[in-house]
Parts: sequence; C-alpha cells; structure tokens
Amino acid sequence: MPISRDYLVKRIVMLFLVVFGVLVIAFIITRVIPARPELLWAGPHAKAEQIERARQDLHLDKPIYIQLYYYLADFLRGNWGVSWRTRQPVLLDIISCLPATLELTITAFLLAFVIGVFLGLVAAVNYNKFVDKAISLISTVMASTPVFWLALILQTVFGIWLQVLPAGMRVDLSLAIKTGFKPITNFYLLDALLQLNMPVFLDVLKRMVLPVITLMMYPLGLTIRMTRSLAVEALQELYVKALEVWGLPKKLVLYRYVLKNVIAPVIASLGLSFGYTITGALMVELVFVYPGIGYYIGMALLSFDYPAILGGIVFVAIIYSVANLVVDIIHAWIDPRVRF
Amino acid sequence: MDRPQGEILVTLPLHDFFKFLTRRSLHMAGFIIVIMFVVIGCTAPYILTRPEEAWGTAYDLRKAFQPPSLDHPFGTDAYGRDMLNKVILGSRYSLIIAVGVVGLSLVIGVVIGLVAGYLGGAIGTTLMRLADMFLAYPPLLLAVALAAILGRGVLTTIIALAVSWWPWYARLMYVTVNSVKVAPYVEAAKAIGLGRVAIMFRHVLPNSLIPVLTQAMLDMGSAILEAAALSFLGVGVPPPIPEWGRLISEGWVYISKAYWISFFPGLALLITAIGFNLFGDAVKEYLNPRLRNIGGGL
Repeated sequence: MPISRDYLVKRIVMLFLVVFGVLVIAFIITRVIPARPELLWAGPHAKAEQIERARQDLHLDKPIYIQLYYYLADFLRGNWGVSWRTRQPVLLDIISCLPATLELTITAFLLAFVIGVFLGLVAAVNYNKFVDKAISLISTVMASTPVFWLALILQTVFGIWLQVLPAGMRVDLSLAIKTGFKPITNFYLLDALLQLNMPVFLDVLKRMVLPVITLMMYPLGLTIRMTRSLAVEALQELYVKALEVWGLPKKLVLYRYVLKNVIAPVIASLGLSFGYTITGALMVELVFVYPGIGYYIGMALLSFDYPAILGGIVFVAIIYSVANLVVDIIHAWIDPRVRF
Repeated sequence: MDRPQGEILVTLPLHDFFKFLTRRSLHMAGFIIVIMFVVIGCTAPYILTRPEEAWGTAYDLRKAFQPPSLDHPFGTDAYGRDMLNKVILGSRYSLIIAVGVVGLSLVIGVVIGLVAGYLGGAIGTTLMRLADMFLAYPPLLLAVALAAILGRGVLTTIIALAVSWWPWYARLMYVTVNSVKVAPYVEAAKAIGLGRVAIMFRHVLPNSLIPVLTQAMLDMGSAILEAAALSFLGVGVPPPIPEWGRLISEGWVYISKAYWISFFPGLALLITAIGFNLFGDAVKEYLNPRLRNIGGGL
C-alpha cells in the first residue's frame, strides 16, 4: 500500500476544507451578490409579509458571519431548503436523482477510459501514419463537440427520424408497470437484473445508449489525446528501444511496459474529465428527459428554483471533490513513483 | 549582423512557427478556421445581407420554417428570419464573450498569482487556497449558479464564466512567478533598493506572462463552448441576441420538423471549437521540442 495513513488523513481533512470552501462560495453567491436576497428567495410572486418572512428565515437582519454560521449549520443538518418546483426538501430530491446520473456518468466514463486508452495507443504506435492522423482528428472533433447539440442531433436522428432507439426517459413506464418492475436502489440496471426482469433491463439499456454516447465524447477525446501524446513520448524512451533490441514482441512491449508508464498520468487527469462528464450530464439529461441530477438542476434553472439550483450544484461539487480524492488514491496505487 | 537583437528574438520564432504550420495540413486548417472566425466576428455587422432579421427586429411569418435553399442556405427560423445571417452575427457574440472571459480571468488570475507567488507566506497560501476552492466546482457549474443569480446578459455571462475561470491562470502564474522571482535580475533590482511593488510589476510581471498568455490563447475554444452551454441552459445571453448556444436552444422545440434551426449554429460552434483545438495543438507541439523533433505530426 503506497499510501500512508498520515497522507490519507491529510487528504480527508483537505476534503473537508474544500467542501467548506464550496459552501462559502455558495453562500456568497446567494447571500452577498444579489442586492436583496430575500426577494430572490421568496419567489417572483411573493407578498410583502412573505418577503419579510424570507428575510427572517435567511437571518438577513443579523451580521454576515452569523448568517454564514446559520447557513453552514443548515447545510450540515441536511436542511438545504425546499424546492419551489417539486415542493420537497432539496436534499431528498437530489438523493433520489443521484443513481440515475451515476449510472449514466460512470458507464460513459469507464467506456471513454477503456476505448480512449486503446485508441490512443493505436495512434501512437502508428505515429504520423494515416491511422494516427485519423484517430487524432476524430479525437479533436470529439473534444470540440458541444454536448447539448450532439444530444439534440442524436436524439432527432436515431430517436425521432429512424426510430431505432428510444428518444428519452429512463424506462418505458407502461412496460415497467406491466412487468411489475420496482426500483429499489434506483440503479435501474441493477434493479432489473436483481429482479430478473429482462424486458425492463433491455429497455433501460437501450435508453442509455444515446445519452452515454453523447456524454462519452468529451472524456473519450481527452483520453485519446492524452494517451497518444504520452505514448508517443514513451515510445522514444531508451527502455523501449532496449526491450525491442532484446527481441520482445512489439505488442508485449506496448501493453506490458509502455501502457504502465502511460496510464498513471492519464488516470491523474481523469478527475478533470470526470468533472466535464458531470457537467455534460447536466445538458444531456435535460435533452433526453433523463431524470437525474442534471435534469433536476436543468429544470430548476428553467423555473428559477434557486434553492434547488444551489443545492444541486453544491452536491455535485462535493461529489466531484470526492471523485478527485479517489482518483489521486488510484493514481498512487498504480504509479509506484507517486508515494504519499 | 547590425540587426537589433530584440527584433531577431521576436520575428524568428513567428516565422519559424508559420513554416512549422505549412508542413502540417490539419494544424494549418485550424489556424485558418481561427483567423476566419476572428475576421467574421469582427466584420459581422457589415457583411450581413439581412441585418434586421439577424438582429431580430424584422420577421415574416410567411417565410417561417423554410428548409435550406439557395436563397436561405441555412434555412429560416420560426419567424421567417434567415438563419445564415443569424449565425454570422452570432460569431460576433461568441468572439466578444470568449475574449471578455479570457481577458477578465487573465487580469484577475495574473494579479492574484503574481501577488501570491511573489509575496508567498501566509498571503500566498491564503490566495492559492482561495483559488482551490473555486476549482473544487466542476467546470461550468459555478458559472451556471452565478449566471442564474446575476440574470441574463452578455456582461453577466462574461462575469459568471470569468469567476470560475481565473483560478487556472492564478495557479499557472503562481508557479511561473515562483521560478522567476529567484532570477538574478530580480535579486539585482532588490539590491539597488527597488520597492516590492515596483519589482513585482516592472520586473517579475513582464517576465512571467508568456506561459499564462499562451494558455489563455489555447482556452478560447473552451470559452466559446462554455458560453454557448450557458446560453443553451437559458442563463446566458438573452433573446434576441443570436448567440450560437441560444440559437440551438431556440430550435430545440422544432427539432423534429425544422432541424436546421439548431443544426447550423451547432455546426458553426463545432467548427470553431475544432479550429481552436487544432491551432492549440499546433502551438503546444511547436513549443514542445521533444515532439517537434520527431517530425511529422498532424
């Protein structure tokens, strides 16, 4: 285990500091920047007494550090406000949306990683040949594609015009009711599998295809580019030449030795591309009417539902921070040069 | 030999860079796309054939939803306005926002990175931890929250994006300044008794700008994409400004019967982003001698 306990403790303390920072920034955005936060909070059609109540609820009559204290205390207690749109506590809403988003983002992310590393290596081996140029161009196009636009185009072409794939939602509701499908963990793939409900499993899978392809684009493009440029440099190294002179087969050199040296920095950069995947989910879920956190935040944005917008964004920021910690730990695990 | 040294330093790399570009067709294509985007963005109001339609002040419902034709290469929207004109005018807003976001972030990031890097100590640590807090948000999300609170507008979009963007430059600047501040000429400036502010802005700043300016240039493509995403989500640029992201979201409702309203603005966005990324690759590869000397490339 290359990670010392001290380091882990330090990182977790840092994580709490970062979460604290996230909350402070959220506090500034909601309570300091707007000229009169109570107007925002009471909603567009509030009466005078409702605005006064919002003022007291937000403790706006108290000094700002007391306001911050109340704000943080409320967050820690899980009191993230009530969504104006769903009329439910924001935290409850978010937690019920979370599995849908995780199912989508993790699938897209893993696929992007595996395919990306493979294609990146293929490009590097064929450096400067046609295959390399084609893969490089494709990866640049992928990393440049506006996700929301691609989502719309794919949905229109495959969902509406060709009708080969369903154009939205997580599962066909009538099919789910007919077959007695019950969401338990809210990870529908897992639920369907556990209940041995093949029709629903296939339906859920089919509905994931387009959103996953869309979400995959950016991290895939990024991983290909990253792997390619790292592998091109690694292939110049003397150890590669030495192994080849020794007579090891090229494939073995590539997958046994070059891959090992390339994969650690790629993993180190995964945290950032996970961030992009999550942000992409915001738009992709909105287009595909896929009821995850992205859809939730998107609908909140469209209806100016401020508690939900903030709750959702803070929650995603916390998940992102945790994901970054996990990525760093995996990085240290794979790369023996990184010792903490 | 009597050429002044400064000129050699400035002209040779640029000349070299163009020679480098001509050997790589894709990099050259990226460069041409970027130049075209900037030229169209700057001249957009003067090259429009139907300016009232592009600005959204005129409409003709009889011409609504016309598919692409010779008369309207990109079709017409729900109010019979020519999409080509709207897309051309949209490039101007993408350009303005991208330059605004990157410029504003540069100013904030450079100053904070400079101060944090040169002074170091408690001030430096505090400033950099502050930057880290902003980086704890996934890309775009903080800007989404801020834009939602600030309301729609070109300026608010720029501010919202810049607030989540500056920490990258602050970090880069911090690292650069840390290596520059130990240079002999800084020591010399200290020795002749210059004040801290004078050293920071007159000696350290000019010598630390190259990396951060290069990065800023590479970031233009992402700035354009993120601004479009904000507008797509309805918190960026307000109607009737024909910003590309907003045009795509405008066509969303009609996508099954009039795909062109969303398709062409998105295509423009895609091509512009590809151009900036290819150009960015060219710059990066040019600056990385290891990759450059292997030869070839894209």
